[in-house]
Amino acid sequence: MNWDKVWTAGNLERMLVGDLFTQGHAGGLLLTVWIAGIAIVASTVLGMLLGVMRASDRSLLRLPALVYIQTFRNVPLLILVFWAYFVPPYLGIETSKFVSVAVALTMFTTAYIAEYIRGGILSVPDTQREAARALGLSAAQIQLYVVLPQAFFNMIPAITGRYIVTVMNTSLAFLIGLSELTDIGKQINVRLQTSPIEVYLTLMLIYFIVNRGLSAGMRWLEHRPRFNHLFLKI
Amino acid sequence: MYHFEWSVLWGEWGLRLLDGLYVTVKLALLTMVFAFAAGFVFGIIRWTRNRYLEPICWIYVEFARNTPPLVQILFWYFSAVYILPHWLFAYMRDVGFEFAAAVFALSIYHGAFVAEIVRAGLNSISLGQVDAARSLGLNFRERMLHVTLPQAIRVLIPPLTNEAVGLLKNTSLAMAIGVTEIAYQTKYIDTYTFRGVEALVAASALYICLCLIVSGLGRLATKRFSRHVDTRRTMRVTALLSE
Repeated sequence: MNWDKVWTAGNLERMLVGDLFTQGHAGGLLLTVWIAGIAIVASTVLGMLLGVMRASDRSLLRLPALVYIQTFRNVPLLILVFWAYFVPPYLGIETSKFVSVAVALTMFTTAYIAEYIRGGILSVPDTQREAARALGLSAAQIQLYVVLPQAFFNMIPAITGRYIVTVMNTSLAFLIGLSELTDIGKQINVRLQTSPIEVYLTLMLIYFIVNRGLSAGMRWLEHRPRFNHLFLKI
Repeated sequence: MYHFEWSVLWGEWGLRLLDGLYVTVKLALLTMVFAFAAGFVFGIIRWTRNRYLEPICWIYVEFARNTPPLVQILFWYFSAVYILPHWLFAYMRDVGFEFAAAVFALSIYHGAFVAEIVRAGLNSISLGQVDAARSLGLNFRERMLHVTLPQAIRVLIPPLTNEAVGLLKNTSLAMAIGVTEIAYQTKYIDTYTFRGVEALVAASALYICLCLIVSGLGRLATKRFSRHVDTRRTMRVTALLSE
């Protein structure tokens, strides 16, 4: 084991921020977190919308959501990334690796979040909706202020798990050549040739720290008093 | 608008996809066996809270769940030769090292998820059941086989089905180390014929079919294992309890 060959200042800098300071474009952990952040926020918003549709009584709303969820949950993310990366050029649309990965990851995660949100919505007792209606809230207000906060709150453990998987799934960007953390790790491994154990353990450690931080943050959110304020401010 | 040319998929290129399908199914089935075996062992150990084994299992589960499967595949692919005992490495090399490394890494990754599912499922069984079985003089093996697991399996099957579907999808990551499964063949076809869209449509359809088959089997199993449960009675009891 020669850790000092892997843990040089240059290698660590490339793993954390890529070529940000030398060539000006971000990479490494920074890019990983950036993609994951976009995908998490976007898929949470879209997933809530789709989850409400999925739990709706009207088949006009329910069926499209069902088709979307079933399709995107049953295709590997890698295939979706290929779709988002290889197909747009055929249709004459300019795209970049970053956009492709972000879009594919968002669409994939949305399907899962929607399914969790639907489970959460079903777990909200009907009395809550009736009480809200009795107070004179509109249908949209009932969903946004009464049902969704509780649905999200009930499903926080499952949603946290999905967020973590989303962070891990950004590593697929390496397969189409985006220089995020896994790709940087592979470059370092190829250059050193002799120490794959150290390089990949370092990568795993970085991902591990990020993911533990994420789950600690979600646990803090779960135990935060007045969780609903998050939604009231939206 | 894109002009589809489905004839690409008939003949050699279509056969390549079918080859990929075979490898994917083989990879998924083998990984499922190992992941479920590992998951049940580690999950039961975590549930029993053995003072010496539990910390080891905890470290394994936390580490395997929080690191990307792709990185794990690359890790085992590049460093198995330094870490694994020689006989195991020689065996993996003989059966095709890329394939064996993918099975190994994915089993470890999904084994951790299965372990968490198993632990949660066992926790849902009330301790009164275990105590009653113990007071009847059943030993650990008998308690597990005849009392705890038969009750837990009903709760376990839906999440385990989800996990199996996830595992099936994650086999596509094995293309990173050159296992010739569906995603690999899709990219191959795209590279050589520039007909990537048709190949992608076919690959997506294959994956959707495979996943629907797995979840269908899971639903059948759920029905099979809950046939003793009188749902109406359970619902009545739940309604009474919640009032």
